[in-house]
Parts: sequence; C-alpha cells; structure tokens
Amino acid sequence: MMYQNCMKMSSVIIKQFLPHTKSVCARLRSPVVCNVFNYSTKVTTTSNEDVLNNLTDWETLSKKKKISKAMKAYLERAQAHDEFMHKQQFEYNIGKRHLANMMGEDPETFTQKDVDRAIEYLFPSGIYDPAARPLMKPPEEVFPARKAAEFDEAGRPHHFLFYTGKPSYFKLMYDAAENIQQLYNFQDKVIRKKATPDPNGKLNLGATVWLTKDQLENVLVEAITDLEYDNFKLVMERLVSLPYAYRIKDFIDKYRKPLASQKFALEIPKPSYDAEGRAFITTYECLRKKARGDVTIRAPGTGKITINGKDLTYFDDIQSREQVMFPLIFTGMQDRVDVECNIEGGGPSGQSGAIRWGIAWSLRSFVDADMLERMQVAGLLTRDFRRRERKKPGQPGARKKPTWKRR
Amino acid sequence: MLSRSWRHLARRYSQATTFRTNENSPAQHSEKQEGLFYTMKPELCKQLFSHGGFPKSFMQQTKTFTETAVMVRQPALDLISCIKASDLNQPAIRYVLYGEKGSGKSLTLAHVLHYAHEDGYLIVHVPWVSEWLRRVPRHKEMSNSQTNEGFVDLPLDAAAWLIHFKSQNQTLLKSENLKVSKEYVWSKREKTEAGSPLHTLVEHGINRVKYACDVVDVLIDEIKMLSSSKQCKTFVAIDGFNSFFYPLTRLSTPTKKTVKPDEVTLTTSFLKLTHNDWTNGVIVVTADQLAVPDDHQESFLPRYLLYKKGFDHLDPFVPIEVGRYNEKEFQSCVGYYRDRLWLRGPPEVETELKFTSACNPYRFMEQCAPL
Amino acid sequence: MSNHIRHLNKCILRYPSYTLPRISVVLQTREYSRPTSFPDFFQNPIFRKEDQAKLIESSELSKIAALPVKPPAVYETSSVYHDPLVNKVINHVMEKGNKQLARNLVEKAFENIKRSQIERYHLATTPEAKAKIELDPKKILHKAIANSKPLLQLQPIKRGGITYQVPGPITEKRSLFLAIKWLLEATYEKERTVHFPKQFAWELLDAANNTGKVVKKKQDLHRQCEANRAYAHYRWQ
Repeated sequence: MMYQNCMKMSSVIIKQFLPHTKSVCARLRSPVVCNVFNYSTKVTTTSNEDVLNNLTDWETLSKKKKISKAMKAYLERAQAHDEFMHKQQFEYNIGKRHLANMMGEDPETFTQKDVDRAIEYLFPSGIYDPAARPLMKPPEEVFPARKAAEFDEAGRPHHFLFYTGKPSYFKLMYDAAENIQQLYNFQDKVIRKKATPDPNGKLNLGATVWLTKDQLENVLVEAITDLEYDNFKLVMERLVSLPYAYRIKDFIDKYRKPLASQKFALEIPKPSYDAEGRAFITTYECLRKKARGDVTIRAPGTGKITINGKDLTYFDDIQSREQVMFPLIFTGMQDRVDVECNIEGGGPSGQSGAIRWGIAWSLRSFVDADMLERMQVAGLLTRDFRRRERKKPGQPGARKKPTWKRR
Repeated sequence: MLSRSWRHLARRYSQATTFRTNENSPAQHSEKQEGLFYTMKPELCKQLFSHGGFPKSFMQQTKTFTETAVMVRQPALDLISCIKASDLNQPAIRYVLYGEKGSGKSLTLAHVLHYAHEDGYLIVHVPWVSEWLRRVPRHKEMSNSQTNEGFVDLPLDAAAWLIHFKSQNQTLLKSENLKVSKEYVWSKREKTEAGSPLHTLVEHGINRVKYACDVVDVLIDEIKMLSSSKQCKTFVAIDGFNSFFYPLTRLSTPTKKTVKPDEVTLTTSFLKLTHNDWTNGVIVVTADQLAVPDDHQESFLPRYLLYKKGFDHLDPFVPIEVGRYNEKEFQSCVGYYRDRLWLRGPPEVETELKFTSACNPYRFMEQCAPL
Repeated sequence: MSNHIRHLNKCILRYPSYTLPRISVVLQTREYSRPTSFPDFFQNPIFRKEDQAKLIESSELSKIAALPVKPPAVYETSSVYHDPLVNKVINHVMEKGNKQLARNLVEKAFENIKRSQIERYHLATTPEAKAKIELDPKKILHKAIANSKPLLQLQPIKRGGITYQVPGPITEKRSLFLAIKWLLEATYEKERTVHFPKQFAWELLDAANNTGKVVKKKQDLHRQCEANRAYAHYRWQ
C-alpha cells in the first residue's frame, strides 16, 4: 500500500518534458487571464464556399470543411494536452491525499505549504539547485502555460498584432501609449477649464516596484528581450510621471509588484539575562564576503570591545576599526554596551563589515523605534549579500574583456 | 551672549590648567601631577638628548609644538619613587620597562633620565641599541677588533656614543672628581695614566676613533669601580635592550658572514655593565618590539622578547608595564593637542579617536595628524 | 537541452530576492548565482548626521525607512571626519587596490600641510595674519581643488579635414576629475629623493594659494579656450 503510494507519488513528482512549440499550444486554466485572448472564434466562410455549399455535385459533397493544417495540429495537440493536464490534476489530488495520510494529517485541510514540507521531509536532498530538488506542485505551476487558440479555423489570427510575433507585449505597449495620449487630452481639457488636479489622487508608488523581466514574461506568456523590457519600463515610467496618472491606477497596478515588507522592525528579539544579571543579545551568522562570525552585546557596559579575544587592536588598519565603531557611534551607545565577537574567514574588510552588521542587528533590542528608523535609513541593518563575481571563460576577469579589435 | 563668552573663557582657562603643570622638576613630581604635561627647557634637551633619547616622531613634534612637553605618567612616577626609596649600598637593581608598540616606554625613560640628571647621577645612556646592530646604511664602518680575537668593532658608533656621553655628563666630568684607576696603554706613543680625570679618557676615544670601542670597554670598567667605591652614583639607561639577544644582526663581515650580537665588542661591554655585581647605581632597560624584525614581534612581554639568554642575564629584575592612556590622561592629552593646534574639530571627534586609536599614545598622535 | 532547462526554470514560479546582473550571453541560468550588486530599487544610504537631520525636518525619514536601503560602503562612516572628496582623492592615489597605503600617503600629506601651516602660524606676529592662515588640511584640499578646476574644455572637432580644438562646456564630474588628475600628475613629476606625501603637500599648498604648476595649467587651458573662441560655433554645425 505504502509502496503503491510511493510509486504514485514518484510518478507525479517526476517532471515530464513535453515537446514544446511556441505558437500552437493550448493554455488551460491559466490563472492570469489577459483579455487579449477573448476574441471570439468566428468562422467566416467565404462567399465561394457559400455558393459551392448550395451546389450538390460530387465535388462539394466530397469537399470537406477547410481546416488549416495548423489548426488541425493545434486541435489534436490541445486535446492531448487537455487530457494530460486532467490526468495530472487527478494524480496530483490523489497524491496529495496519500501524502496527507502518510503524514497523519487531515487530507481536507492539507495546503500546498504542508505538501512542500512533507516532500522535504520524505525526500531530503543535498542538491544545491532548488530547481533540481524533488517537488510536488499543482500541474499549472509545473507545466508551462500555453496560449489559447491564436487564430481561427481558417487560419486568420484573432489578435490584431499577431504578426508581430509577440502580440500581448505589443498590445501592452500600445495600451500604455494610448493611455498616455488620453491623459494628455484630459490634461488639456482640465487646463482649458482652468481646474486643478485632485490632490488626493496622487499615486503612491513608494512600496512597489515594476515587475521584473521574468515576472513580466510569466504574465504575458511570451519571451521578451532585455531591450523590450527596458522600453516597457521607460513607457510605464513616462505614464506614471503624468499628473493624472491616478485615473488609470488599475492598469498601472497590474504591472507593479509590492516589495517584501521590511524585516528589520519585525521580530526584534528580547535580550536574555546572564549570570550577573546583564542583558545580552547574540547575533549568529554575521556574514560578509567570506567572513563568518557571531556578535554578543551586553547591556550595561563600559564600551569594551573584544574581537576573538583581542582588543580593537585586532584590526591594524584604521578603516576596519572605524567600521566596527560606526554603529556604536551612530547610535551613541559606544560607552553603554560591551561587545564580544568571534569571527573567522575573509580579510579585514569582510570581517569588519560582518561585525558592523552584527552590532547593528543586535543593537535593535537596545534602541528605541526612532533610532531604529534612522539606522535603517543609514543602511546599517541591510545584510550585505554581495559575493565575488566569478571569472568567466574567455575573459581575463569577471568583467574585463580582451582587447577589442574592430576587425 | 556675555555669559556664553564667560563660559568659553572659563573653559579655556580650565583647559589650560588641566593639562599643564608648572612643576618642571621630575624630583618633585608626584601623584598630583599625574596626567599633566611638564615642559623641559630647550638647553636641557639639547644637553641630554641631542644624539638620541627621544623617538624621531617626538623630535618632529617638538619642532611643530615649539616646545618639549612630556606627560607625567604612573610608570615613571613608580620608577622614580622606587629609585628614591632604594638602598644604594645593595647591588644595582635592574628595572625593565615593557609595553606595546607606541605606549610610551622611551618617553618614560627620558623622564626618568631627566630626574637622574637633576639628582646628580652619572648617566650612561644608550639611546637605541638597534641603531648599532640593525641600522646598516650602504656601508657600515666595521673593523676587526684588535684586543679581542674574532670580535667585531664599530668604531664610528662608539665614537658617536662617547660624544653623547660627554655632552650628557658635562658638569660631572668638568668637575674632575672622577679619576682613572689604572694605566692604559693604547699604542707605543699613546697611553692614559692612572689618576688622570675621566674626561681625558673620553676625549682620547673621540679623537682616536680606532680605539673607541676599547675606550668604551675601559670606561665601563672604570665607572663600575668608581660607583662601587662611592665616588659617584650611576644611572644606566638602555633603550631596546632586547636587540642584544636577538640571534642575528644586520651586520656582515667583508667575508659576507653575518655577525651575531655576541661577537660585537659593544655588546659585551654593555652586558658587563648591566650585570649586577656593582653597587651605587640604577639600571633601567626597555624591551621593545620594534628592536627586532617583524617576524619575531608576536608579543611584547619581556619573557618573549629577551629570549632565554637575556632573561637569565637580567634575572632578577623589576618589570614595569607601560600601558595605554587611561581616561584622565587621554583627556589631558586631548587638551594639550588642541592647545598646540594639533587637533582641531568638534568634540565628537574625541570619542571616535579614543576608540580607533584604542588609547595608544602613538596611534592617537598619528591619527590626530591629518585632522 | 539548454532550452529546456531555461524554460523550466522560468516556469517554476519563484520570486528570487535578488535578480541576476544583466549578462548578455547566458549558457545556463542559475537562480542561485551570487549577486555582485544590489537591484536598482535599493535606495542609497544616508548616514551623515546632518543629512539625516535634514530628512527628519522634512519628515521623509519614515518613507525612506520603508524601502530597502543599500548598506554603506566599507570606507564610509558617519564620523565627523569623513569627507567624500578626501575619499575620492584617496581612490585616485590608490594603485592596484591598495587602499591602506593610499590612505596612509594622503594622511601623511595632510600632516605635512598641517606642520607647515602651524610653523607659519607661529611665525606670524599679528592676530590678523594668524587668523588668515588656514590650519585645517581638508579645507586646504577643498580650496586647492576649487582653484584648479577648469571651467571649459577643448574638444577636437573635425571640419573639412582639419581638426580644430573647440572650447566647450565641461561637466562638474569631469572638472573634478581633471583637477585631481593634474594635481597627482604634478606630484609624480617629483625628484627621486622627495617622498610623495611631501610633494603632494607642496602642490596642495601652492594650488590653494593660486600659484604653482596645476593652477598654471588650468590658466593655460582657459587662455587656449579664449584664443579659440572663434571656433566655438563648430559645436553646432
């Protein structure tokens, strides 16, 4: 029973590579619906065929309804894909219930998150690439989204921009340009009437950014080049800069993604108390480049700094010492706390950067909200995740190229 | 507005009094003057320190500040009180000053030297031992010693030192109380009779550079005898003593063989001097990391720097640690630098400098430089 | 095969917290590759006390605090003696990434400037003369660079086979760059026995007094521009 379950699971989990051609594919149960695909499939027969249909000779009788080869192939493939997706969905649902049973939880309330956790538990993987690890997701997420019928039976495309090759992208640009024009007209009207723009309607784009290239590709189900993405951003920026942009807020919001909420203010840890009754906070995993370490701050202190058992003189150069003192002097806590750190790896810059972040992160618990905001604006609380860029083959360095010769 | 200017004046006045002291005689220095700067007269400086004694950076500072001011610190006060309280009939006590790089050992030594000079000691002062053993310009004048087989002489250095000795002890030598006890024959025509004053010996060494090292040797013997017979009390100060015990020097014979410090005549002379078989004297020595090459500078403790040989030679000794500035000293140093226009800027700079220099005197001076 | 992998990676919905830098030739997109710069929606940090005070006054602090902010660089601190111009000069002096040595040299140069200015201060007799002497080496640096910044530059423009040197405007950045470059060039033409900090200190003091090689070079450039005024219209032909 368990073995069968496992087999079912593995069949769902094993990703299948489907042969894929871009233009003639079916797109089923697509979560984000672009209204470009809602053109109706009207079959317009030619007058010739009408005349011929009325005739009842052998030619007309044997003449079949003209379906273009592309449409035929598409229909076949669509059917196959439909069946396939249906089967996958069925297997996924059954697999989910089996998994819930295995984990001893209620199948009805088994969410996708629980599925992920269960898979990680049952199939622990040491593979670095997340894409290569075992996963179990609803088939819509796993298999590529495909476009609906882009042309009718006679082979006439539905979309008026079909022959550009990227209809949805160009429709989007066209819409944006049209909106800009409309806003200009509206602005002219308002100026003629000598009115002022509505002050409440100002767009607030502080907490959102434009969709990234990959996300835009997902939305449009088309591949986009870098240049096209840049143009998209240019046009949208232009749109947003107009004074009456709030009138098309919905259009703009569709292509903006909210930023991850700031983690610096959430979950500030409470200090624990050691044997002498002094409050202390330890931040582990202080990283910068290749330096790794941890920082402990003890609250009522005198400004003593200990790094790997040594004083601040552990760093010979002034720059590293300044970096270590930066958060303390910025918050003014330099003679009110004691700092104790252990670091290894990396060089002086990396180590001092790691300690700086560690001190700032630990100081969150000892500092009020106002100063916390100021630290955030100063950038002290951002983890510096940059790493050394690798050298590429065919080049002397990461970015340096061999001498450019015109010919 | 008026009150602000009053406060400003009051602060300036209080600042002026908080880092300086008018007590310019080290014999009178006590706990009250701790952390304050006292000035030395220029003629005195020239007499005592014209051929060394102060670190080079300090000499530059004297020129910029147009005065020589030394801070009265705890190690110096300890040393002076020890010397005052010591019984001179016992064999000479040896003190070793140690501390990190730039914590003020040489300046402490200079302070105590000033006290000794005031108190009428006969001063035997080696400003920086590594100058002889490790500072090698293009060509170092060396010769094989005539009196001791297999030993190497440094005639010019010895002559320079004799000049230094002469200028430091001008008054004592001029008074002609100190007489040579034996007769020394240098060559067929030159000899120093017994009973002639000491300064003739010194001058002979300065004039005849060839015999300078031997003169130094003889001089040290004489000084030991004179001290033991209570003719004068001696104060020996050697800076960078641990470079006598480092296995190598930078000298090399014309046959390209590196010379060990034990093969240099000057080494033997001063090791004889620091031996505690004579009375009526004080020996103060510093163990400095800068006297040895960078690979062997792991620690500043005397046990490490003096090696086994030096430790055994100096054992027993009184170790005195020269540490960094404490809070009071730091504040007074800040006040002094501001007064001398060396440090300018808002008061927040002081807190930052305190941490980045870790209160090390030399580093603090270095870091105030570009501000 | 690579096509498949690329497509598969795109299909799996994931929101990476950092995107890749734009590499035009990508053999295999790896979502976990190490980023070397922050994405462009990260704001620049504001850590100087004065700048932050200004923000607090205009009450924009909370708005910026809600956005992600880049961390300050390794050489930037909020301390009072941090100066972006000094840092720029240090960068120009630096060779092969040896920042410590470059910083040391520039600091020694400042020390030399300070010593010579203090000497002059003590030699000056009247309080007015004393007040005129500038003792802060950073201010002297600022003044020197301000005095050696050119206001126009000559651009070679080819018309009818002849290359004319046409005077034209100069951006702030380029002007600053030229000033620092000339100062350093003048310092490199020093004697063998003179050390870099000393020579640099002399050059800075000269430039701050509007004398010396660098200011002469700037004035020569201005004279050339004035002489070539006639060709100025070639910029728009």
